[in-house]
Amino acid sequence: MLAPGLTLPAPLPAIDSPAGGAPRRLDEVRFEALYRRTASALWSYLYRMTGDAAAADDLMQKAFFRLLRANPVLASDEHARRWIFKTATNLAFDYFRETKRERGHVVDMKEALSSESRELRHDMMRTFAELKPRDRALLWLAHVEEEDHDSIGEALGVKSGSVRVLLFRARKKLAELLTKKGLAP
Amino acid sequence: MNPCPPNPSPEHIASCEECSVAAVVAPWMKRFASLNERQHILPHPSIVWLKAQVLRSSSEAARASRPMTYVQFFAYGLVASGWAALLTWKWEAIQELLRPFNATNIASGSFSVSSVPMFGALMLLATVTVTLALHTILAEE
Repeated sequence: MLAPGLTLPAPLPAIDSPAGGAPRRLDEVRFEALYRRTASALWSYLYRMTGDAAAADDLMQKAFFRLLRANPVLASDEHARRWIFKTATNLAFDYFRETKRERGHVVDMKEALSSESRELRHDMMRTFAELKPRDRALLWLAHVEEEDHDSIGEALGVKSGSVRVLLFRARKKLAELLTKKGLAP
Repeated sequence: MNPCPPNPSPEHIASCEECSVAAVVAPWMKRFASLNERQHILPHPSIVWLKAQVLRSSSEAARASRPMTYVQFFAYGLVASGWAALLTWKWEAIQELLRPFNATNIASGSFSVSSVPMFGALMLLATVTVTLALHTILAEE
């Protein structure tokens, strides 16, 4: 229930094609809608993957540039979301290859957080950064984006049947790290 | 591995390694995901759209000029090999051609070209080299 005087913003147009209609390509309005829906989640994913806000900015924009350049026929919002996460994952892996920096790199964002929050964030980021990039991607997609095994497999370029095993290994590694650092519940 | 239930019971978690590991990791991941990062401002979608259009047009321009670039590289190779061939195989003829161009003859204005074809080939190659250099400089500007 909304408070008196408050109104909901106009809904953003979805990519989903009209019933029985053909899938559509992106125009500026649909792109804006997709961007508003996915950019924040995508940035968080890339930031947790790279540990670097500037790199996350750069990779996120590159992923959207690729989407606009490829201009694929997108059947639905879900399809677009999968496409952009897959592209961003590939770009993040390229970034790790180019910088030869896979682990233990965390660049703090300059922002007004209390020192306790900053320390907590830094500890969590460093713990996560100790995992391999693929493990980070697996855990984030599974636990935060709550993607199913098919989507995770598509994003990472592995068979969906392998995702369960890879996810188990990634969870085990993180659980071991958390236990070692005394952070496990 | 057998499939685990979506909401496993504590007994199942205690007996299943996969679920026990997931039970350790899941709350930590949720907490990790909820870390405050709202202060990070993302670029406006219209800026990203505009940048993409600019990138697209510059890549289209690069694609359109690609054949010209290939021709240019071919011309560099042709000119370089022309000079190399001329200087290797006709060095003596070139020396002979240039011998009358000494200070005395130039001062008296009494020099003549001993081999017109050789002189023509030299002038042609020099002209092509200068034209190519000018084209490269002007194209870059």
